Amino acid sequence: MNVMSKHALRFIVLSGSLAVTGAHADGDAARGKKLFEECAACHALERGANGVGPSLNGVFERKAGELADFRYSPAMKRSALPWNARTLDIFLADPQQEIKGNRMPFSGIPEARDRADLIEYLKAATK
Amino acid sequence: MTTKLKEVDVVLVGLGWTGGILAKELTEAGHQVVALERGGMRSTENDFSVPRIRDDLRFGSRNDLMQNPAKDTLTIRNNPSQLALPMRRLGSFLPGEGVGGAGVHWNGVTWRWNDNELRVRSLYEERYGRNYIPADMTIQDWGVTYAELEPYYEKFERTAGVSGKAGNLRGEIQQGGNPFEAPRANEYPLPPLETSYSAELFNKTAAELGHHPFPCPTANASRAYTNPDGAKFGACQYCGFCERFGCEANAKGSPHITVIPIAMKNPNFELRTHSWVTKVLKDPTGKRVTGVTYTNVMNGEEFEQPAGLVVLCAYAINNVHIMLLSGIGKPYDPVAQTGVIGKNYCYQTGASATLFFEGNYFNPFMGTGGLNARTDDFHSNWNFDRSKFGYVGGATLGAGMTNGRPLGYRPVPAGTPRWGKAWKDATAKWYNSAMSVGMSGSVMANRYNYYDLDPTYRNAFGQPLMRMTFDYKENEYKMGRHIAGVINEIAKAMNPTHLNPASARSGSWSVVPYQSTHNTGGTIMGTNPGNSAVNKYLQSWDCHNLFIMGASVFPHNSAYNPTGPVGALAYRAADTLKNVYLKNPGPLVSA
Repeated sequence: MNVMSKHALRFIVLSGSLAVTGAHADGDAARGKKLFEECAACHALERGANGVGPSLNGVFERKAGELADFRYSPAMKRSALPWNARTLDIFLADPQQEIKGNRMPFSGIPEARDRADLIEYLKAATK
Repeated sequence: MTTKLKEVDVVLVGLGWTGGILAKELTEAGHQVVALERGGMRSTENDFSVPRIRDDLRFGSRNDLMQNPAKDTLTIRNNPSQLALPMRRLGSFLPGEGVGGAGVHWNGVTWRWNDNELRVRSLYEERYGRNYIPADMTIQDWGVTYAELEPYYEKFERTAGVSGKAGNLRGEIQQGGNPFEAPRANEYPLPPLETSYSAELFNKTAAELGHHPFPCPTANASRAYTNPDGAKFGACQYCGFCERFGCEANAKGSPHITVIPIAMKNPNFELRTHSWVTKVLKDPTGKRVTGVTYTNVMNGEEFEQPAGLVVLCAYAINNVHIMLLSGIGKPYDPVAQTGVIGKNYCYQTGASATLFFEGNYFNPFMGTGGLNARTDDFHSNWNFDRSKFGYVGGATLGAGMTNGRPLGYRPVPAGTPRWGKAWKDATAKWYNSAMSVGMSGSVMANRYNYYDLDPTYRNAFGQPLMRMTFDYKENEYKMGRHIAGVINEIAKAMNPTHLNPASARSGSWSVVPYQSTHNTGGTIMGTNPGNSAVNKYLQSWDCHNLFIMGASVFPHNSAYNPTGPVGALAYRAADTLKNVYLKNPGPLVSA
């Protein structure tokens, strides 16, 4: 029942909504680079390189659903969530919970430390 | 009018797993390659993203990723005395169409077929005597051994991102893996998937009864993975839409996310979609092929594509069809037992029990293609004495959660009405509280199971349809009775609230209900031109610049899914083409 218990754990972690701050300030970017392997099948870091997911280049300077050359879900566009360390942290904890109906096929990163490290890596890597 | 195009080095007919592997390998070796794919382009971002792909009606019931039988199909009969009729809708098997082929909508199960299969006749004769094999069972050695294929199995497993646990590393039996597998040089590239609750229950009881369960090896990535070519996989999300669907998360080993995009970046490669190959052309001597003719199905335009080398990489059934349509090799005649093209068509056999547990919740919607526990005690276990039951071959057993699709998955206890309130109540009650224990069984070649061209029916291009003559024989019935008994013994010991027991197959094969898309044989490999269409490098005995990939080269079918050896044989053929054949073209094995 490992699958079950993972989902149950997530259920506890996602209790936060966008109003709740969950970001950790001091992430480990080297560890975050390793964690990014989870994302790399769909997201590239190069500008304009859209795959299954949009390029993450410049993500900290834009809102959800903003790239003109990527076909977002209506849910993602509607959210118009400004991406920053705090919103990414909440979104990545449980993507379907925070932006319901978005098309990202990823069940999320339940551990706060993992998210902090990944976000720390993305800050530099998406510039 | 047919437009003759400029000659290229290599033309590939079909762009699925085998076409993709050859496209990548041969373009990297500097050859100019054209792939002709009769279906359309496919990509994860445009075709398999959610929610589009999770449409059970469109893809699960109406087979949107499969061939359209209104354009081309087969005629079907059980034996040569019957009149064959066209299969007008897909049923028993689902051939894929489009870039990536069946490699986009398979489950991912990847086995290594061992010498039990590759040396089947020699080994059974050695152990059980010559008379053990029935006279009409036309099994033969493949002409290749496990030791020759081992590095290529590994190469394919790494390309496809196979999750699993080794059971035999260089001769040392490993805890938790399949103790009956042939020795592997290395572990699987990825650890096994999670264990489903149904598999946990099965594992416990099966082990108590003396069986040896292990996690099924499968190309569903258990974690994020980058393959040796740099292709990136996401981790499987257990979404439950695997078989019949493309993967939304790039987590299923598929050619359209691995070998094909690498080939497409190479300027030596050109893909032409909607290009339906109608014939392979021969030169006047009949000893060489000169290219193919094809039709652009979008506008009906006809082309001749000359090529120095032609490789058939279409679905197994279609490779045989194009050989018969092209008049290459002698068609098989089951009465005279002469000829080879069409010979040894094989299929698979199955049986399963459904177990209902009041108060247990299996969450069938959390599943993936190979989320299974299997046992190999009655298949690759050579110590299992078949003579007690009198059959050749065997079956794997297992339990798991492949999917819980809203339309396709509706387990109810036997005796439940088929419609109405009672059915609705039962399906609501049991959807989450049922599991099955099933088998996948081999089918040995038989003299009267074969393909030829239908004398009456034609496809959209006016060409004769292929005729399939197939039925199960006594060998399969004997195996089915034995294995159904084993399934029921395990199922009863699991102590369910209700049990729909497994019943052994007794009647003829029917093309109507879905059974398995593991169709094999028809252009079989072997040791000499008298017994086979291609040699151990998959090179045609008749025309040395024609190669045939895929499961149509299998001389018989095992209980294992076919994609492991399909991939390994393609990688081996690619190596031979690059390093030997294309440097000095000619027959690689003297006839």
